Amino acid sequence: MGSALQKALALILSADAELLNILSVTARMSLQSSLIALLLGVPLGIWLGACRFPGRGALVVVNRTLMGMPPVVCGLLFYMLFSGVGPFRHMKLLFTVQIMVMAQVVLITPIVVGNMETYVAGIAPAVRETAKGLGLGGIKTFALLCNECVYPIISAYLLAFARSIAEVGAVSMVGGAISWKTNVMTTAIMQYTNRGNFSLGIALGMILLAVSLFVNIVISLVQRRLSR
Amino acid sequence: MNIQPFSKTYDGVRVLSFPGLDLEPGKIYAVIGANGSGKSTFAKILAGVLPADRKGRIRDDAAVGYLPQKHYAFRMSTRRNLLLSTNEEARAAELMDALQIRHLEKKRADRLSGGETARMALARLMMKRYDTVILDEPTAAMDMETTAAAEKLILDYTRQTGCTLILVTHSLQQARRIADEVLFFHKGVLKETGTKEQVLFHPSQPETRQFLDFYGR
Repeated sequence: MGSALQKALALILSADAELLNILSVTARMSLQSSLIALLLGVPLGIWLGACRFPGRGALVVVNRTLMGMPPVVCGLLFYMLFSGVGPFRHMKLLFTVQIMVMAQVVLITPIVVGNMETYVAGIAPAVRETAKGLGLGGIKTFALLCNECVYPIISAYLLAFARSIAEVGAVSMVGGAISWKTNVMTTAIMQYTNRGNFSLGIALGMILLAVSLFVNIVISLVQRRLSR
Repeated sequence: MNIQPFSKTYDGVRVLSFPGLDLEPGKIYAVIGANGSGKSTFAKILAGVLPADRKGRIRDDAAVGYLPQKHYAFRMSTRRNLLLSTNEEARAAELMDALQIRHLEKKRADRLSGGETARMALARLMMKRYDTVILDEPTAAMDMETTAAAEKLILDYTRQTGCTLILVTHSLQQARRIADEVLFFHKGVLKETGTKEQVLFHPSQPETRQFLDFYGR
């Protein structure tokens, strides 16, 4: 255990080429998927939280169900759609970073939507009432509502990023954990542990934990600001 | 200015029934009644933030300003909160001085205390001229000194703009101090209306007398 830890630190400090490639693929996938999820999820969450329309309750329930979707189910779905027997096989996306990003977008967008919906539903009536009382128009009211959501948006993004970087089920199924191509930190930890290469697994685990710690510190600071 | 008759029903239970009323410009109408008597529902329907069962707004083309009971401070400076509806810096400064919040102009409004938020919200509403202004318990979170300043501002604003002001209040003293007319609600029904001398000192309805006896004439 001690020697594996020493080797892990040496790998990090020596900027091992394979380790750097895994980090680069992970960063590319997590940043892309969390950004796309943010762009899709924030407007959808604000809309669900602020507007009242028939079927809204059903949409909220569907979104909450999707928030708890098991990653392997998502992976299975994408595998079936893009594999040799699937309707999208001609796109040849299976075992690429693009399909990993797509699967993650499906997994983490509901998290962004859910977080935004909960927050906006809490403040929207007061914002609307106050804005109407001041005689402000619809566009200005919407702009004010968005301004109130700055910290929740940051918080939702960090949650999405944390979920994305730590996810293993879907990315291993659709990405295939191919070395130097689609291997990300979580899949690499599994792979190297299975091979008995603990030092690289530990090195990746340490980096993953450090990223998680950093993200959680930022989330705590954001939540502290939110709690007023 | 005329309010048409309206009612409000929640889950089949009628919570408010209003027979309609003519309002005179430049007058202050105090809306009084016990908790749950329908005062805030009445204010919300007039302001257009809550739909009535049938038509209940003042007039579709009338500019109506409304201060809700729960004051919301937007996540920006006190000064910027005041400048939301108009960019008149001088008016903002004047109002902040009148309500003693000038020293808070750069402070984030969502970090103000309850009393400070109430003063900011009142000042923010009074930045603009309206045909009708509806204030729902504007001084509930204020101390005596700031309540006096707020009441003076309300009186000055009504006099200067000639608007009709509807003041929902739980304070009979406040109604006596600044109202011209009083509307008394009991269990969702407008029981009595008239000048403050009539309603507060010579009530005609037993419910009004009971309310005044309980809360102190």
